[in-house]
Amino acid sequence: MTTKYVFKRTIFDSISFAYIVSILLVAILTPSEDSMLAMDRNFAIFGALLVAGIGVSLALGRMGAVTLGHTIFAPAHKKNHEDTRNTFLRLTTWHLLLTLALTIVVGVNQTKFSIYELTDPDGFAGAVRLFKGLSNPNFAIFPMAVVKIIETFFIAFMATLLAIPVAFVVSFFCAKNIMRSPGAFAIYASLRTLLNITRSVESLIWAIIFSVWVGIGPFAGMLALWLHSVASLTKHFSEITEAVNEGPIEGIRATGAGFLQTIWYAIVPQVVLPFVAFTIDRWDINVRMATVIGLVGGGGIGTMLIKYQGQALWPEVGCIIVVIAVVVWLMDTASAHLREALK
Amino acid sequence: MTENTETILSIKDLEKTYPNGVRALKKVSFEVKKGEFLVIIGLSGSGKSTLLRCLNRLHDPTGGEVLFEGKDIAKVQGEEIRNVRKHMAMIFQHFNLIPRHSVISNVLMGRLGYVSTIKALFGKFSDKDRSEAKRYLDLVGIGAKAHIRADQLSGGQQQRVAIARALTQEPKILLADEPVASLDPATCHTVMDYLQKVNRELGITIICNLHFLSLVRQYATRVIALKDGEIVYEGSPKEIDNAWFEKIYGAGAKEVHVN
Repeated sequence: MTTKYVFKRTIFDSISFAYIVSILLVAILTPSEDSMLAMDRNFAIFGALLVAGIGVSLALGRMGAVTLGHTIFAPAHKKNHEDTRNTFLRLTTWHLLLTLALTIVVGVNQTKFSIYELTDPDGFAGAVRLFKGLSNPNFAIFPMAVVKIIETFFIAFMATLLAIPVAFVVSFFCAKNIMRSPGAFAIYASLRTLLNITRSVESLIWAIIFSVWVGIGPFAGMLALWLHSVASLTKHFSEITEAVNEGPIEGIRATGAGFLQTIWYAIVPQVVLPFVAFTIDRWDINVRMATVIGLVGGGGIGTMLIKYQGQALWPEVGCIIVVIAVVVWLMDTASAHLREALK
Repeated sequence: MTENTETILSIKDLEKTYPNGVRALKKVSFEVKKGEFLVIIGLSGSGKSTLLRCLNRLHDPTGGEVLFEGKDIAKVQGEEIRNVRKHMAMIFQHFNLIPRHSVISNVLMGRLGYVSTIKALFGKFSDKDRSEAKRYLDLVGIGAKAHIRADQLSGGQQQRVAIARALTQEPKILLADEPVASLDPATCHTVMDYLQKVNRELGITIICNLHFLSLVRQYATRVIALKDGEIVYEGSPKEIDNAWFEKIYGAGAKEVHVN
């Protein structure tokens, strides 16, 4: 326990040290773009700084100084002999302030933050033109927008519906309290890893992959949302399953019930309502995602949106935005009411 | 009650060491006669609950033997464990019913060990199972509440449903783990009376963990006291005097009475 906290503290301090020194190095040496791209050398420098940081953290620890890592990770009983000096005399305070200040400077630099561009009259006039277009929607394309929003709605509906059975079954294999034996734990761990990877890739990226696989259109978008929904619902479902009351499980096992019977009688009744609530929430998210999945070839109203946006036809874009906003708002309200009723 | 000397359960050198190194049971040996109302007493953490769970294999003993009608069940696996549990029903301190299901549905779950998985998943219990379930509900006096959700009942009523669920298993032994510990004193006696009825009228052997000595004296036919995973007393409830009481519960302990 103690060693674990020292390990975390040292790693944190080391990363923090390497971060601060490398920013200062870039600021002082102002390297050219070529030398910024010399990754082998830069990684070596950063690695050396990490090692140096470990040394610094350990040295400070031995000297009895309270580092930022210590403040964050030390367990409560280790904090007794904490630094009681004035806030502005503590190492931790200055460490935090320095890190924050440097990060803001780098952030401004990286986002090319510019008051000049924001207040440029030409640019501003362009934006005003665009807004005028948007706020005068061209309802000539309204019927087509309605047709496409129906397609969008069903992309989301099918993605959610088809995700339910898969997520329901897989979630039990991803619940620690069910997968207890060592063999079962291996299945649990590999499934969890696979789902975490699937979930960390956004549905827009899955849509690009599926649009190559099954061709551009609503089917690709539906598959992309389905895959992401399976991964996400499984995670939520398995967390709910892990939090169930153990009593009924013991009660059912004690009757001589088998594995499946125990899941069906002791766990399912406890999880079914939260499962439904999460599914409705996912459906809501899917409708929202389905409106933009067309931007990357996933069908639905996004296809129209990108077409008119590419031609700078702002009144048409305005009409599409109105349709999307109304449907998303309706779905949001409906889902909130449904979930409230299920509590 | 007729004198019966047939042994139904024989425990020899039973050991349980948890993965974290805690030795909960240390070479526990005793016999249970058919038709007994055996009560196990002891402080929290003395190993009472672990002992019961090692008998119906909710826990796996780490050593020793449990002879159930002559057959060692301490190491059986899979289907055989289910078979053991079918014949050794259990009720719990927190009842462990399924809150969202009706009372009758909870009682029918006592048949899960007998029906096939497919039938169980579709809730297909035979008419005979249903009439038996109803009969046992009547036996514990709550037949009228069969179609109410289990979580709408009071604690005492829930424990009676749990007894009915245990009875539909048609068990030879009923294990009761602190059955009245979360009930108020009045309800406490009702539940204990039903357990006594089950013991006397249906002839089901009962092994029951209890806290209160006054209840022990009233209901037990024999007593075993556990302390730190070892048996420190075995005999008639009437012989537990103050000296024994202090030995089991520690010097300075005072007996409280449930009326």
